[in-house]
Amino acid sequence: MRRLVLLLVVAVLMAGCGGKPSNVDVILATTTSTQDSGLLDVLVPLFEKQSGYRVKTIAVGTGQALAMGEKGEADVLLVHAPADEKKLVDAGFAIERKLVAHNDFVIVGPKNDPALVKGTKAAADAMKKIAGAQVPFISRGDDSGTHKKELSLWKAAGVKNEGKWYQQTGQGMGQTLNVANEKNGYTLTDRATYLTVRKNLSLEIVLEGDASLLNIYHVMLVNPARYSKVNAEGARAFHGFLLSTEGQGAIGKLGADKYGQPLFFADGGKTEEQLTAIK
Amino acid sequence: MEAIWQGVKAAVHLLFSGDPETWRITFLTLRVSGLATLISVLLGVPAGVLLALTRFPGRRVLISLVNTGMALPPVVVGLWVSIFLWRSGPLGFLQLMYTPAAMVIAQTVIAAPVIAGFTLAGIGQLDPQLAMQLTALGASRWQLYRLLVREARLSILAAVIAGFGAVVSEVGASTMVGGNIPGQTRVLTTATVMEVSKGNYNLAIGISIVLLLLAYAVTLSLTLLQQRGRQPWVMR
Amino acid sequence: MGDAIMIQASGLRVTRERRLVLDVPEFAVKAGEVLAVIGPNGSGKSTLLQALALLLPAEMGYEFDGRAPRLPEEALALRRQMAVVFQRPLLVEGSVYENVALGLRLRGVADSEIRSRVAESLAMFGVADLAKRPSRALSGGEAQRVSLARAMALRPRMLFLDEPFVALDVLTRSAILQDLRRVLREGGVTTLFVTHDFAEIPPLADRVSVLMNGGTVQTGTPREVFSQPADEQVQRLVRAATDLLGSLMAPFS
Repeated sequence: MRRLVLLLVVAVLMAGCGGKPSNVDVILATTTSTQDSGLLDVLVPLFEKQSGYRVKTIAVGTGQALAMGEKGEADVLLVHAPADEKKLVDAGFAIERKLVAHNDFVIVGPKNDPALVKGTKAAADAMKKIAGAQVPFISRGDDSGTHKKELSLWKAAGVKNEGKWYQQTGQGMGQTLNVANEKNGYTLTDRATYLTVRKNLSLEIVLEGDASLLNIYHVMLVNPARYSKVNAEGARAFHGFLLSTEGQGAIGKLGADKYGQPLFFADGGKTEEQLTAIK
Repeated sequence: MEAIWQGVKAAVHLLFSGDPETWRITFLTLRVSGLATLISVLLGVPAGVLLALTRFPGRRVLISLVNTGMALPPVVVGLWVSIFLWRSGPLGFLQLMYTPAAMVIAQTVIAAPVIAGFTLAGIGQLDPQLAMQLTALGASRWQLYRLLVREARLSILAAVIAGFGAVVSEVGASTMVGGNIPGQTRVLTTATVMEVSKGNYNLAIGISIVLLLLAYAVTLSLTLLQQRGRQPWVMR
Repeated sequence: MGDAIMIQASGLRVTRERRLVLDVPEFAVKAGEVLAVIGPNGSGKSTLLQALALLLPAEMGYEFDGRAPRLPEEALALRRQMAVVFQRPLLVEGSVYENVALGLRLRGVADSEIRSRVAESLAMFGVADLAKRPSRALSGGEAQRVSLARAMALRPRMLFLDEPFVALDVLTRSAILQDLRRVLREGGVTTLFVTHDFAEIPPLADRVSVLMNGGTVQTGTPREVFSQPADEQVQRLVRAATDLLGSLMAPFS
């Protein structure tokens, strides 16, 4: 009987294959839209080859990613929800919060633009028009960074996002875009995802460039003083890589040849205030 | 119709272009779910036999736990296994979170009660006096168990098929404890969900077809094993 | 036959669901004899058989072939000197050959030895030509013959039969009974044979024990029990049996 138990334990552990020491693994908590943009598909292999660490990218909703940081279940965070990130730093769970890159959100809608959004400058005004015209607006509805940005726009517009025209999918960006496409409605999306799936859609960008639409990415280390089990060296190595010339270079190049425009703007070394001031 | 056709084309392309990523996640699916099913058989069949044939205080409570276990939502299992495997959890020192081993553990928790429950039912359906007859013929305890398992093997193979089916198709637990990490813990189900959420429906349908083929291949082999040499009475 | 005792049980008590279902102060099976146990349904006959065959936990003093075994440690070894045939054939999946070989395989007997013993016992009951037939494809009578062959292949020192003919039609019953009678006489196997049918007693039994309400009320030769019933209960039983036989025969006399 005991031999059977031993055999089972061995079998299970072997399934975890590659019995390398734990310090090799770095747990990166990030968001699904970051993962979907393809950014990490380029950065992670580069980093792994150079450093010898193995990155475990856990792509979940913003809320969950930040919660993983708060519980010490991740080593390094790459997210884009500045207000909530600051809370984490203030509470002492995260340190070394540094700006990595930004891209922006855009409002997309049907080609015929029934709510007459095109030409509007401010994103909040566009939202007001959509609500007024009662044209379908599809929301992520999943507490993601995109969803939080959308809610802040409704608030700025002073408009209630309620009614049959307002629909929530609770799903990822790609799928939400598909739903908006099906229903000929508007939605708020990050530029990167839109560019990636554009060929399957008949939606167009109807508003872009407003300062309130900036989507800003920061990298943070989970505070090793709080959680001793954190892989502090590995996290620091990844953090440093994102801000290094090589990392920043890779970020800036992403998507340029495929979509004709880069998906991200590398901002290492700058601060958030600098960014919003520019726009 | 168009979407389905596109999906089939995507599936054929994935399989026959030798796309390494597809083969990798297919083999990982097979390894993880296969190992989980195997461990569940080693745990569940003896458990089912003992529950069927022995009497002890609390037996009925244990049986109802097994029956409840048969219907556990996989995502709930994933959450609870995570709680144990997290760094902050009692088994955090094993550092199994986000590894295939964690997925095997979660899937075993899902499949073992299924296999135990069906084995229990299968043995329970045997003639109640059969165990006495075999004992009277001089069977030791272990010989008896072996003979009864053999008599109930149709039900037990059905149990294995059900157990495998349950875990190869689940996504909630695999996502929670595995993390869907490319090249490490991504399996066919988690890949399907991911592509759907990205809006890549064709690719998702293609992956799901690969999954269906895999599930069918394994189930077919088990079924052939189960039905070997049986001559049923057929209504004419 | 003589007076050697094969099984001696004393103070045999079996309780089921807090009811005392069997209470037999003394019970003995003589070596080489066929002892029938008869009684109405619910009298505890099967329970008695199962207790003596060590298939049931029972409170009792127990001696087998003059030795008092340590129970339950030695129960398996003892059971391997016995064989039991129940009302239903209870064959396992497989051919007739595999079924009859089963008990021998459990004891680790060599394959060559198994082959000859199986052939021998199949022939005893006239079913040698069914050796390759799947057990599922047998008629009731054929299956019960196989069950008997399976028991006799073990060359048991003690044979237990629990109402083995009760599920069979009268023709099959009669045929098998004749074969069994011959086998028991030729082999001299000590046998405990439970039945509720009086008609089976004269051809097979050397002695009869009447069981009523969990206790033995009379034991003796068939002639003694039928002609000199010990008390009113037994008398009623005997009379009912003979009346039945009489009424069956009446139209023809």
